Amino acid sequence: MATDWNAVSDDDFRQAFARLVEDCCPPELRFMRKQRPTFDEVAVFYHGLAEAGWLAPTWPVEHGGMGLGPAKHMIYVEEWGRLGGPRIPDHGIGLVGPLLIEHGTEEQKAFHLPRILSGEHVWCQGYSEPNAGSDLASLRTAAVRDGDAFVVNGQKIWTTLAHCANWIFVLVRTSRDEKVRQKGITVLLVDMRSPGVRVRPIANLRGETDFCEVFFDDVRVPAENVVGEIDQGWTVAKSVLGHERIFLGAPTRPEIAMERLEKLARARGAFDDPAFLSRYAKLRLDLYDLGSAFERHARILREGGELGADVSMLKIFTTELYQRITEETLALAGEDARLFDDIATGNDRVDAMNLFLDARAPAIFGGSNEIQRNILAKAVLRLPS
Amino acid sequence: MPQLHFDDGDGTLEMLRDSVAALAAHHPGAASLRARREAGADMDRELWGAMAEAGWTGLMLSEALGGSGLGPREQAVLSEALGRALICEPVAGSAVFLSTLFNGAPDNAEGARLASGLADGSLIVARAWRNGTVQARADGDGFTLSGAVAHVDQAQGATDFLVMGQCEGGPAFFSVPAGISGLGLDLQRSVDGALLGTLRLDGCHVPATGLVIGPDICAPLLERAVAATRLALAAELAGIAAQALQATIDYTTTRIQFGKPIASFQAIQHRLVDMWSDAELAFAAVNNAVEEAEAGEGRAAALAILAAKARAGDAAVSICRRAVHLHGAMGFTDECDIGLFLKRAISLNAMLGQPEELRLAFVNLERAA
Repeated sequence: MATDWNAVSDDDFRQAFARLVEDCCPPELRFMRKQRPTFDEVAVFYHGLAEAGWLAPTWPVEHGGMGLGPAKHMIYVEEWGRLGGPRIPDHGIGLVGPLLIEHGTEEQKAFHLPRILSGEHVWCQGYSEPNAGSDLASLRTAAVRDGDAFVVNGQKIWTTLAHCANWIFVLVRTSRDEKVRQKGITVLLVDMRSPGVRVRPIANLRGETDFCEVFFDDVRVPAENVVGEIDQGWTVAKSVLGHERIFLGAPTRPEIAMERLEKLARARGAFDDPAFLSRYAKLRLDLYDLGSAFERHARILREGGELGADVSMLKIFTTELYQRITEETLALAGEDARLFDDIATGNDRVDAMNLFLDARAPAIFGGSNEIQRNILAKAVLRLPS
Repeated sequence: MPQLHFDDGDGTLEMLRDSVAALAAHHPGAASLRARREAGADMDRELWGAMAEAGWTGLMLSEALGGSGLGPREQAVLSEALGRALICEPVAGSAVFLSTLFNGAPDNAEGARLASGLADGSLIVARAWRNGTVQARADGDGFTLSGAVAHVDQAQGATDFLVMGQCEGGPAFFSVPAGISGLGLDLQRSVDGALLGTLRLDGCHVPATGLVIGPDICAPLLERAVAATRLALAAELAGIAAQALQATIDYTTTRIQFGKPIASFQAIQHRLVDMWSDAELAFAAVNNAVEEAEAGEGRAAALAILAAKARAGDAAVSICRRAVHLHGAMGFTDECDIGLFLKRAISLNAMLGQPEELRLAFVNLERAA
């Protein structure tokens, strides 16, 4: 009989997870500088979690998950961050698994879920296209039926970790409806080893290659790889984003940035400078109050409620605060802000430029902050269009 | 829309909100403010009486002293509602401040008299303790007070003053009846349509029984009263912010230009969303401070209250400023209520520490550990 982790006390749950991370995550993988390590770089941690049965926190137990509710899942994510666990390629765990569990056929579940847990299949997510970013519904990658297969042509972009993935789930256009552009989109599972799939990594501002372009050139995909109904992919894809939306607004990144700012400020004696102290106080209080705001939404989940559209506010505030803290750190760096490399502070280092550049991204991904504001204007403030 | 979220098991909070709404129906906040301003008065005695009758002036005062003995949660909900309704009689600066002092003061007849008068509305006890200094010299049968204190609310309408004087042993609070010999008052207009007094004491004699809070307990008690007042001010400011936002949403969705409501334009929508988001943060900060205050009086509560007053003050002033702008030329008229919200927000934000000062106090307290 598997442990019912939801029934375990929060403290015991934390301790169990902490022990596991100590056991299966080697020190060099803790608090990694790299935001998105490849599968091979973190495989030992991935497999360690899988063997202990802790890899898929929200999947039902029958599928090899822990069956955690939102309350315990939030602790899981929080502890992961606190313990400095590296980000693992998690599209399989976080998106494909839930997608198949809700909408997949028995065959799809039986084939894919165990291979996600074993790490045999590493997934990436093909949503954005060169001309379909914020306006995702205008996507043009086409899948045309040909007998028992679909033939896919087109291009995806900003596909995170595609260069170390071997499967991709893509949104493709299967028909056109001039009135409702969201209709006619289908979710397709594609083996990236199929002929006609080509991946080109894109270097980002931090000099890393987290994301890629993925080209599809007459790629034949068996029709049984459609998830859910044909032409209903928009609804299918949207349905898997539940309480996880709160994590986009978690204060984790600004907390890390604040720790770096404080470290550099101590090394530079900046806390004795009233002008700095004033700017620091503003940022410090923004972070403190973000914690209070996050707690309000987290409490809704803990008490069994559902998140409203208003949770977008956390995403906007946390990503913009992350930017402002890293900007202050660069300002404090003085002429050291010319360095791409980390700044030495005595025996320690501060990755001021690394975080400043990293902070450009979260305000864009996961729905740009401008899109978030549009959503809030409509769904929360009910402003007219 | 933004508001405080608390468990309301026995319905007290809902009752408080309803009671503010009911009173505001008879004494609309903006109209009362204008009438008071027009009359050149520092308070609306009738409104204050109605508020006392509703139990708001003694909400936090202990039951032994004639109050309701309620806590930060109930006070925050009341203050939030007063902010929304723009009811400007000084509940935070008067009732909350005084109740906290009286609750902690040792048994004494004069303190009990003032407390009872505060709760039933029969006395107006003006507070003179912050902007200025008063020396209290012990004489034969009491004390002689000399000095001046500025920015005293309800100074003109006061029946009594609670004055902080510096004794040999430190600060102490004295009860000084209005109209005694040696007492003088200068008045200035406040931005929110009232009067602020500068109280001058020129050798005022107070009997020994007028020492309400002695120097032995004055400092920690004052700290507690300031914290409670800041929390109530924060809740009131959050209420002001929420109402100013709502008024601006209502205005921009009905104001038609270029054939459409101006709230349909993205430039306006994003501004409104940012205002809403600032208000949400303010309410989250106040919620957090109330919970910390209920959990105890330690450092965590002190930090949370500093944060809440800073956040709510900033939010209220900046939301009202943007609200005035989004009302266009109408917003610049005295006839439009939105300007009154801005002025009230500025005034409350300036009380007991502006945001910058509070933020610095926060980081100093945090870094002292």
